[in-house]
Amino acid sequence: MVKSLISSGSLSDIRVLDLTRVWAGPLATRVMGDFGADIIKISDPRVQLLSTNGLNHKLNRNKRNIGIRLDIAEGREIFLGLVEKSDVVVENFRPRVMRNLKIDYEALKSVKSDIIFVSMPGFGVDGPYSEYPAFGTTAEAVAGIPSLIGYGDGVPISTGIAYGDPISGLNAITLIMAGLRMRNQTGRGQFIDIALSASPLCNLGEYVAGYSSSEKITIPSGNRSTEYSPQGAFRCRGRDQWIGISVLNDNEWMNLKNLVADPELDSLETSNLEQRKKNEEIIEGLIAKWTSRLDVIETVSLLQENGVRAGSVSSGAQLLEDPHLNDRDFFFDHEEEEYGWKRYDGNSIPGNRIPKSEWSGTNDVGANSKEILIDLLGYTESFCESLASKEAVYFGE
Amino acid sequence: MGEIRKGNNNNLPLEGTRVLEVSEGVAGPYCGRYLASMGAEVVKIERPPLGDWTREIGPFIEGIRDGDNSALYSYNNQGKKSVLLDWTSVNGMENLQSLVPEFDILIEDWDLNFRDDIGIERTELVDSNPGLIEISVTPFGLSGPYARWKSSPLVQLALGGYLYLTGERGKEPLMLPGRQPDYLTGLNATAAIHIALWERERSGTGQFLEMSMLETLATLHQFTMEMTTFEGVLRMRNGNQWQKESSFASYGITTLPCSDGYVCFGISTEDQWERLCAMIGREDLIDDPNYDTRIKRADNSEYLDGLLTEWIADRTRREIFVETSEIWGLPTAPILDMSEVVKDEQFLFRNIFQDQVLGPGKTVTFPKYPYIASEMEPRIGNPPALGEHTEDVLGAK
Repeated sequence: MVKSLISSGSLSDIRVLDLTRVWAGPLATRVMGDFGADIIKISDPRVQLLSTNGLNHKLNRNKRNIGIRLDIAEGREIFLGLVEKSDVVVENFRPRVMRNLKIDYEALKSVKSDIIFVSMPGFGVDGPYSEYPAFGTTAEAVAGIPSLIGYGDGVPISTGIAYGDPISGLNAITLIMAGLRMRNQTGRGQFIDIALSASPLCNLGEYVAGYSSSEKITIPSGNRSTEYSPQGAFRCRGRDQWIGISVLNDNEWMNLKNLVADPELDSLETSNLEQRKKNEEIIEGLIAKWTSRLDVIETVSLLQENGVRAGSVSSGAQLLEDPHLNDRDFFFDHEEEEYGWKRYDGNSIPGNRIPKSEWSGTNDVGANSKEILIDLLGYTESFCESLASKEAVYFGE
Repeated sequence: MGEIRKGNNNNLPLEGTRVLEVSEGVAGPYCGRYLASMGAEVVKIERPPLGDWTREIGPFIEGIRDGDNSALYSYNNQGKKSVLLDWTSVNGMENLQSLVPEFDILIEDWDLNFRDDIGIERTELVDSNPGLIEISVTPFGLSGPYARWKSSPLVQLALGGYLYLTGERGKEPLMLPGRQPDYLTGLNATAAIHIALWERERSGTGQFLEMSMLETLATLHQFTMEMTTFEGVLRMRNGNQWQKESSFASYGITTLPCSDGYVCFGISTEDQWERLCAMIGREDLIDDPNYDTRIKRADNSEYLDGLLTEWIADRTRREIFVETSEIWGLPTAPILDMSEVVKDEQFLFRNIFQDQVLGPGKTVTFPKYPYIASEMEPRIGNPPALGEHTEDVLGAK
């Protein structure tokens, strides 16, 4: 379906029905919306979307919103009508939720034969755990991520970022686009099932292969590595300020050693990786002693000027102020009706022809319901009202 | 689901697409691997004498240190052709450029320092090869104050705000395992190429895509920056606990010991909290004024961890996982290490692993891809020996 090629976005001829919630799914559709795809976010009117914490503001820009009750017959009719006008349907519920709503690939295919239907459940739509609930943090756990993070005391540590989600979101963009490309080539749609828990596993290929070849598992020890030594986050002056340093080779080490200029370092054998690994704990202690008095930003600059890999350990607040990201015009500033000007992350995928000045903020539940029903489905105003009175559709506040 | 897992290997979306990969490490190669699995012909250019530096990085199959035995290289270069050509000299670059017109996509990792040395302008190749999609994958992009900095996975995680969020509060922040920034950027680059291919189908034009690893990470935060911009609260690392401040505060994202390891709980919503109380026989907590807000529960996490640990008693991870998931509908997961991941029944059911015979005739297990699609079965080829296809590709010229 070709909407209009005049619009400037690369994906402006694609329409996606977005049933996803929380993070992984909305992240994927956000990228497509930034590039001009018509993302119709379908929300249950009984569930609050926007709240004072900004989460959904960030993830649902450049999308239209329709409030539909999928569990009401008339709501389902609206949904199937929209499917007929769309290229892609994406959801990330537990498989049972979709079954109860009687929404599956066969049902969608019967109204739109070449539809691309994407499910993003925790463990995939089939298999022994498929009905189990999941969350980014539990998804990374079964994939082995926390077993590879820790202080060396054997206690696994989860990432602080629910890591299953962002990886799954990135996979979803590629798979949706690949599905659409195939459809254009073959005329056929398809069903794509992306498991949240499998996404982090596929970012650990060398660990899986390494284990299968040696039958030895890796025990994490802080930020130490077999390749970089020394490597770690070292405390700097100020509250919870840290500098990340990685030394890859002997030259980089000489440069760092000269800057630290601690006589105790000179008394140690440290010129090659093997020696540095042997004396790692002492070396780390001396670097930490040196950095503890220093300003993190100044020290990062000093190290980089001397060819040493280093970066400040940025908090969320520092990320927003990062001079490099700001210099590259990375952020998206937008004025929200109730919250004023807010700064969000932009899009890290280059090549977007739609300038950020033309991006729109997040629409609350039902904000675009009427225009979608009238323009896309050809409903009359009075029919819309009758659907609203049955609570099948919601037109917002 | 039988029909769904059949897949169709004969007709893949990137059949006939030719990719030239002049990129080392993980980010660019992981992208090339993904494209190869979707049917593209990927020609990887490797520098003599040793090729991609990941050939020199372990783990090595059977511990045999040889450029064709690296698990890291093998995983990220499955299904490619390897051609020896030194593009880092002015002459070599000219030879390389003469190949470019035969390709649809160029993946390269040339940072500003290299571009200056060799004398190659930002969009030079795209300007002289209409239709070419060139993706530049570098740590910081080609402009801005960090553009000439050296990096490492730890440095990326530090500047990208991931490091700050993982580990115990007050202690050294911890990195994610292996090369996660590179893997994430590889996935992001794959998505970028698919979007650019869609654009090219419509308009016939290629483009120069300048991807930055730092920007990739900065777009993969769920609410790190929003906690600052909407609530004025800094997002912190809390070991295995979730946030203690802000509206994201919660009890129940926690890791607790079982008789045979650790289990991760991912309880975050109100109804999950109530089911957790019921599960441990403490419904009284639901109405207890000491536990009636998310922040109060987060503040009492030590006590609640104690109750949950008592409930777990001496049961196994599996017993807890099954009971919490099946009876109580709570998201939990056993924390698996690599020796357990490769035997996990859900991953095995979904057929996510593939064995390949590599190097010294040893069978090695790799993860495939995190999806199952009705019309797209990833094509998994062997990784190439160094220069295996030099004559095939260059000889024809």
